[in-house]
Amino acid sequence: MTAITAPGLAGPATAARPRIGREWTLALPLAAFFAVFFVTPLLLLVAVSLYADAEMTRFGLDQYIRFFGDAFNLAVLGSTLLLGVKVTALTLLFGYPLAWLYTRSGPRMQSALILVIILPLLTSVVVRTFAWIVILGRDGIVNNLLLSLGLAETPLRLLYTEGGLVAALVQVQMPLMVLPLITTLSRLDPNLLDASAALGAGPWRGFLKVTLPLSLPGIVAGCLLTYAAAVTAFITQSLVGGGQMLFMPQYIYQQTITLHNWPFAAAISIVFMVSVLGVVMLFNLLGRASKGYVHA
Amino acid sequence: MTLDRRQILAAGLTLGAMSLFPGMSWAQARKLVFATFTGSWEEAHRDVIVPHFRKATGNADIALDPMLSVDMIAKVSAAKANPPIDVMLMDPGPRLSVIGQDLAAPFPVADSKNYQDLLPVAQLPEGPGIFFQAVGITYNPEKVKTPPTSWDDLWKPEYKGRVGITNMNSTLGTAFMVELAKTRGGGENDIEPAFAALKELQPNLGAVAPNPGALATLFQQGQIDISPGNFNAIQILRARGVPVEFAKPKTGTIAFLTTAHITKNSPNAKLAAALIESAMAPEVQTKLMQAPFYVIPTNSKVQMDGDIARMIAKDQEELKASFVFHDWSVINQNRAGWIERFNKEIKV
Repeated sequence: MTAITAPGLAGPATAARPRIGREWTLALPLAAFFAVFFVTPLLLLVAVSLYADAEMTRFGLDQYIRFFGDAFNLAVLGSTLLLGVKVTALTLLFGYPLAWLYTRSGPRMQSALILVIILPLLTSVVVRTFAWIVILGRDGIVNNLLLSLGLAETPLRLLYTEGGLVAALVQVQMPLMVLPLITTLSRLDPNLLDASAALGAGPWRGFLKVTLPLSLPGIVAGCLLTYAAAVTAFITQSLVGGGQMLFMPQYIYQQTITLHNWPFAAAISIVFMVSVLGVVMLFNLLGRASKGYVHA
Repeated sequence: MTLDRRQILAAGLTLGAMSLFPGMSWAQARKLVFATFTGSWEEAHRDVIVPHFRKATGNADIALDPMLSVDMIAKVSAAKANPPIDVMLMDPGPRLSVIGQDLAAPFPVADSKNYQDLLPVAQLPEGPGIFFQAVGITYNPEKVKTPPTSWDDLWKPEYKGRVGITNMNSTLGTAFMVELAKTRGGGENDIEPAFAALKELQPNLGAVAPNPGALATLFQQGQIDISPGNFNAIQILRARGVPVEFAKPKTGTIAFLTTAHITKNSPNAKLAAALIESAMAPEVQTKLMQAPFYVIPTNSKVQMDGDIARMIAKDQEELKASFVFHDWSVINQNRAGWIERFNKEIKV
């Protein structure tokens, strides 16, 4: 095909080179935007975190020493990262069957399902979170149901508990898991499953040996999105988790807005960002390993 | 003149940038920006203060920009030479930061018509107090049959799991802790009794809300029946038909003065002073005191009536006698340590 585009030029190789050069410049506006509005603030954040005192008069690593010197801070970081793991695991557990059901349904059922999956994205996180306050409250739907069925004698405390928060986050972040899963599962060749069945594999064996490994890229992508969204979900964490459960986003807010301790807030932000990046890289490594596994 | 692609692109980008950042081309002639509080405060100020101000200044252009005091400080301190706000509203804690960081210009007291009519506690030349906020006991009258009269009532065993508080991030939460310390022998310099009292309160605690707004919604959800609460937040719930009442503790209603400040280097300093003048005027404060706003007046010429007379004070004398003010200069020094301690010790 390259021969057709070549008239007047020395050859396909030289024709391709300048074109790559020009296409590259198309990314420049976005790159400039990122440099001004993302990289610069990020560098400023690092700079602020290197002030030794809240009044920002001298430099030093004091904020980082303060953070790592107190077991309480590490517990907050740990509980935030763990919250993300719990939410991601549950979202995967509930999201996978939904995505699988989608790929197995007829076109009419598919449009209904995609509407159900997308619908939460069309309302704001604040609205979805408030719905959970109504569901989990003392006079809420869950408690009324438990009381009327006689399963509980007094209303249970569901709101402002970690269990309630995990449930709310799983629902709020569900589309982020299901959509990548649907993409991967839809691309899966159904003949592969038929072949494995024909060769004597039962449904579970077929799933574990064929479907699951081939959908790993979707699982990794979904987990990445869900995890990053869950650990940083400031609104849901504070409205459903309450005021005494401290996670990193609220901790940063508290230090910045209430206490004006910008250097410490910046240091916590950097530590949090690096930790989340670490977890994300772990997911990515898993993803890469899974590719090797699939092609092997 | 011929235009080539590049020139058209450059012109297009410039136009785009100008519409994105209109301040680039019209830096000097902008509207007066009044940073008010969010929600019902914004409604009250838009409906009452703004019309009065426009009448007094021959329809000067004004825009309301509702946000929290701390956000106003963040915005102004990020652009001290050319602040995006002309008039700021401050709670007592943030007010001291504004003065400490030199972000406000003094109010021209000598030229003011209404300043000397303010209650003495509101006559602050750095920025006069334009209304009070009051914190007392909020309760659900359908569940709490005998109206509470004292902060100690929160500790009654019958309210097991029914008491709500907020954490110390908010002015409400911090003021509650200071008042608790005061009623038990401590104070702004000795918060120990408050933490000890909170430990005893743990069996009764149904919720520690992240902010006062969330605390108010917990009444609506039936999650809690009694809590410290802001008078104005309660009025909003009452207007929506939620069964809540406000009770004055016998040790006094915790009061904060909300002050209005002219931002330093404001290009509209004269208009900013005129707006604060309107906010102090007795006719404005009288209207704000009535339904549906219920804003507690600082002008001594305002005749109390309605819910304010019934629930807060029937006149300025009773107001002076029943209001308790805290020393926020001491609180601000200690607050970081208290919040850290609250983070660590209070688990429900």
